[in-house]
Amino acid sequence: MDLGFLNNLVDGFVAAASLNNLMFCLMGCMLGTLIGVLPGIGPIPTIAMLLPVTYGLSPLTSLIMLAGIYYGAQYGGSTTSILVNMPGEASSVVTCIDGHQMAKQGRAGSALGVAALGSFFAGCVGTIFIAAFGPPLAAFAQKFSSPEYFALMVLGLVTAVVMAHGSVLKAVAMILIGLLFGLIGTDVNTGVQRYTFGVEELWDGMDFLPLVIGMFGIVEIIRNLEGKEVKREAMSTRIRDLWPSLKDFKDSWKAVIRGTAIGSILGVVPGGGAVLAAFAAYTIEKKVAKDPSRFGKGAIEGVAAPEAANNAAAQTSFIPLLTLGLPSNAIMALMMGAMMIQGIAPGSAVMQTRPDLFWGMVASMWIGNLMLVIINLPMIGMWVKLLSVPYRMLYPAILVFCMIGIYGTSSSYVQIILTAVFTLFGYVLVRLDCEPAPMILGFILGPLMEENLRRSMVLSRGDPMIFLNRPISLTLLIMAGIVVLLIVLPQFRKTREEAFVED
Amino acid sequence: MIKIKSPRDLGAGLLFIVIGLGGFYFGRKLNVGISSRMGPGYFPMMLSGLICFFGIIVGARAFLLQGPPIDKPQFRPLFFIIAGMLAFGWLIERTGLAISVAALVIIATLARRAKPNYVEMIALAIGLAIFSVVAFIYGLGQTMPAWWGK
Repeated sequence: MDLGFLNNLVDGFVAAASLNNLMFCLMGCMLGTLIGVLPGIGPIPTIAMLLPVTYGLSPLTSLIMLAGIYYGAQYGGSTTSILVNMPGEASSVVTCIDGHQMAKQGRAGSALGVAALGSFFAGCVGTIFIAAFGPPLAAFAQKFSSPEYFALMVLGLVTAVVMAHGSVLKAVAMILIGLLFGLIGTDVNTGVQRYTFGVEELWDGMDFLPLVIGMFGIVEIIRNLEGKEVKREAMSTRIRDLWPSLKDFKDSWKAVIRGTAIGSILGVVPGGGAVLAAFAAYTIEKKVAKDPSRFGKGAIEGVAAPEAANNAAAQTSFIPLLTLGLPSNAIMALMMGAMMIQGIAPGSAVMQTRPDLFWGMVASMWIGNLMLVIINLPMIGMWVKLLSVPYRMLYPAILVFCMIGIYGTSSSYVQIILTAVFTLFGYVLVRLDCEPAPMILGFILGPLMEENLRRSMVLSRGDPMIFLNRPISLTLLIMAGIVVLLIVLPQFRKTREEAFVED
Repeated sequence: MIKIKSPRDLGAGLLFIVIGLGGFYFGRKLNVGISSRMGPGYFPMMLSGLICFFGIIVGARAFLLQGPPIDKPQFRPLFFIIAGMLAFGWLIERTGLAISVAALVIIATLARRAKPNYVEMIALAIGLAIFSVVAFIYGLGQTMPAWWGK
């Protein structure tokens, strides 16, 4: 086995351990924990909101911070789930079931401890996973040219559709709409303007901040305001002894390993990511348990496995982005946007041209996970206190930060108007049961997909058979075909529907 | 008579069709080209066609499959949140960050159905306005007017 990656990893640690990077890593992890703890705001709007702040930072530093928000949110989400019985984060929905029961039985400390330590273990494994599988995958992707990239994007988008929850047909349509919106702006090849409606701000393409913040951040606020106001009350049980007992360890270590394995794999799959991983891990725990009836009544495995899984997935979902340039979910699409703003085209070339970026980020993830255990365990009281800030004071603040973020990047009120337009659009979509997440993937991939299609067609003089004549692109398309077939199979459909239902 | 069984699907289908047709209409002047030399209109036309196609399928399903009704939208949150955003956009270049933030906060607090607590509303508006100016303009060095005008 080639152990060359160990050398690279050492270089990565040197890059990530600079005082500046450590500081921003800590900041990302703190922010991630904060928004993880607070229900009603997730990593997508937070990362979108902070993008403008990263413009002034170096590429590595900004990626370190943004990544910290994502996996930090996985830690923070469990705290709210366990203590308040309300998911702080979508990926912690299943943690509520057994986590809150444990808290009611006075075992909140064990639950929180297992969640944090399980997450830490998963984070370490996830980091190794990236370090080990990233480089070979990137080397493989070096063989790709336009037809392969096009086929890869087709596979990625098709898989994303199948993995998303809700109607498949609507998800496909949403991706196509995203692709179309992604084309807004000046066509790079001819200089012709497309769908700009004479708005100067659209000539360089639509900014994705108004789209993401409008459709995710602000629509979320409106939906929260429409619902009944719930009083959030944290359990006031003793949470001082956070170190799980020996018995807790014995009961949960297998679940942690299983959760980590599921999370690591589902993180890489397009459309997967933390939320799906947590659901899948919980379902599997219930299936392998000797006594499934314990679940829902405070089974420690029901906390350990999903929490490990969501953190592992949060990390491994970076693999397709960093090695293939393919974002596997909406958050990775945001990361891709952040990299492109910095002038870096994500993909296999990154590892050759900017190895410090890849390895520095991998190393920072491990450092970040260590920080998170410290942030979350001894300082838990502070986070719990935050829960007493009522939503009526929180949402105006979130709104203010969103607006400043958008205006700060563009210095143009037009972007604010665009945000309002997309808020309205996102609201209509939600009312009609259309998930907006696939649209973001399409939006970010639109121009790339068009460019690769165009180049392939030039290469083959207009013959679409080029995609089937090249072995790698053929394989990718066959895989996409299999994924499409899967969705037609009734057995698979049933499993897919069940995957998102917590009973 | 044909019965609409799933209003959400029908709505989504119609929305998709409108977007697809919009793609055709607003892109009608774009040169499509031929497949070996794709023009700027090639991919957009392809996408618009596909969006219409899926819109028709989703819409047609509304007559076949049973589905839940569309939840009645509540206009209060939607209206005040969007109004607040637009007020911020309108004010930012005229009155600077502090006053825009205060206006946004005051309008946004009206989005709740419950009767607003005016003392809290004013305190929050002033607090966030000061915090925004200090943190974003002085702290993070973002270029935007803190007080009056550009």
